[in-house]
Amino acid sequence: MAENVVVTRLKKSSAAWKGALFWTSAASIVGGLLLWELVGRFVVKKVLFLTTPTQIVVEIVRLARNGELQQHILVSAAEFSIGVVFAIFLGIGVGFAMASNKFAKRALGPWVAAFYATPTIAISPLIILWAGIDIWSKVIVVVINSIFPMIINTEAGLRSTDRQLIDAARCFGCSRLQIFWKVSLPSAVPFVFAGIKLAIGRGLVAVVVAELFGSRAGLGFLLAQASDAFNMPLLFVAVTILAVTGMTLTWLVGMLERLLMPWRTAVDQES
Amino acid sequence: MTVKLQVKDLCKSFGTLEVMRDINFHVDEHEFVAIVGPSGCGKTTLLRTIAGIEKADRGVVMIDGRALAGPGPDRGFVFQQDSLFPWRTIWQNVVFGLEVNGELNAQTRMRAKEFLKLVGLSGFEKYYPTQISGGMRQRVNLARALAINPEVLIMDEPFSALDAQTREVMQLELLRIWQQGRKTVLFITHQIDEAVFLADRIVVLGRRPGYVKEVIQVELPRPRVLALKRTAEFGAYVERVWNLIEKDVHASIQEDAQAPV
Ligand SMILES: Nc1ncnc2c1ncn2[C@@H]1O[C@H](COP(=O)(O)OP(=O)(O)O)[C@@H](O)[C@H]1O
Ligand SMILES: [Mg+2]
Repeated sequence: MAENVVVTRLKKSSAAWKGALFWTSAASIVGGLLLWELVGRFVVKKVLFLTTPTQIVVEIVRLARNGELQQHILVSAAEFSIGVVFAIFLGIGVGFAMASNKFAKRALGPWVAAFYATPTIAISPLIILWAGIDIWSKVIVVVINSIFPMIINTEAGLRSTDRQLIDAARCFGCSRLQIFWKVSLPSAVPFVFAGIKLAIGRGLVAVVVAELFGSRAGLGFLLAQASDAFNMPLLFVAVTILAVTGMTLTWLVGMLERLLMPWRTAVDQES
Repeated sequence: MTVKLQVKDLCKSFGTLEVMRDINFHVDEHEFVAIVGPSGCGKTTLLRTIAGIEKADRGVVMIDGRALAGPGPDRGFVFQQDSLFPWRTIWQNVVFGLEVNGELNAQTRMRAKEFLKLVGLSGFEKYYPTQISGGMRQRVNLARALAINPEVLIMDEPFSALDAQTREVMQLELLRIWQQGRKTVLFITHQIDEAVFLADRIVVLGRRPGYVKEVIQVELPRPRVLALKRTAEFGAYVERVWNLIEKDVHASIQEDAQAPV
């Protein structure tokens, strides 16, 4: 029986299997881009209606040459990363407080629930009005949009610890503190990661929307400029960079997940 | 023979539901005692009380004549549900008890390694619980309980989630391990044949409230082999226990059917 388990694992995680999976993704991406390029060149033709991948690349190179692109990326990246990092740590802290203290839960719970359900992105113009047009107003918008999934997931993760495991730990003589560190916290890690993924997704949207509402630089600013001038290649440059950023961040979080939750990966390999 | 574990006048109610009434029994040193009773008769509550994570309304639990005040490494537990920590490797699970009691050192590590070998899982140290079968997981649970070198090993229906064949293998394995270390064992089960096969004595519990109906000495030869299960003597013991709890089992099934889910 033991041997069986090991053998299936080897097969599914073998190099050949992984290779096949990789080439499926690669073929899908390349094929999709090729189709896009062909339709843009021979069917739609008008740049205004459909910009092709090669035109986007040309535009990216042009903007990168004069340094404009880097500047916009840098501004957006700063706003996004300061906001998300802040949201993650503050969110974990508040979620922890709500899970461990009944009064904190009662005091903060209604607000968290209300803000989580509200599309807080809608109040970004107000925040820009209050905090100015510089990067800090965007940081605040990112925090407001990213923090609530963090709080809710952290709290849920700490609360949903399997009673069976807590009882087992108590039988082994664990103190309350040990139960928190050795049982509740590790079992909340998957929830925290789910929260981080949500926070990143929401933060990315928040930064762009906030910049659209009022800014002097950033990818959202670039987007607004492009759409005012009907400069579709420029618009697609901004969109492409955002898409690539989103994918890269998802991939990075995935790596971090595998690093911090090896037991999860062990399950994933089977499915 | 000296008394290792003694349970005296244990009573417990949850609100108006009386779960245990005057439970009295003992386990001698090196003895294997099984507790049998229909589901819902308070077996798990009894175990939790012995563990010190549930407070009895009345009565005491004693080891070597000392009354117990709370959980401690003098008792090792194996539970009904698989209670391994999924984020810990097999090895990290096995040394959990040592770690939280601050007893992890070169010597105890050696001992833990030996127990892992004893349950047949050497080489699986780096695996995670999700990567091994249910039978193997229960072996790890057993190694984890043994690693703290407890005075008494207490098991709550440890094989009930396993399929019939694996269960039989595990019963033999448990006897083999017990024969080698001669721990004092308290084994809780609702399966009569399992109790007869494993135990020196069987404490039969009735239900509503849980109370000790009878204690039966099992005079079957050791070491026990699977063929024993097909002998007339074995059948007679099973019959005797069954007659004691038959009514309670029917009552418990009926109640389960009526219980709102
Ligand atoms: N914490 C609790 N609160 C209320 N009732 C409980 C609690 N724990 C167990 N019970 C009840 O006590 C009875 C005995 O349960 P248990 O000890 O789990 O029985 P067994 O392990 O023999 O199946 C059951 O009716 C169960 O519903
Ligand atoms: Mg039970």
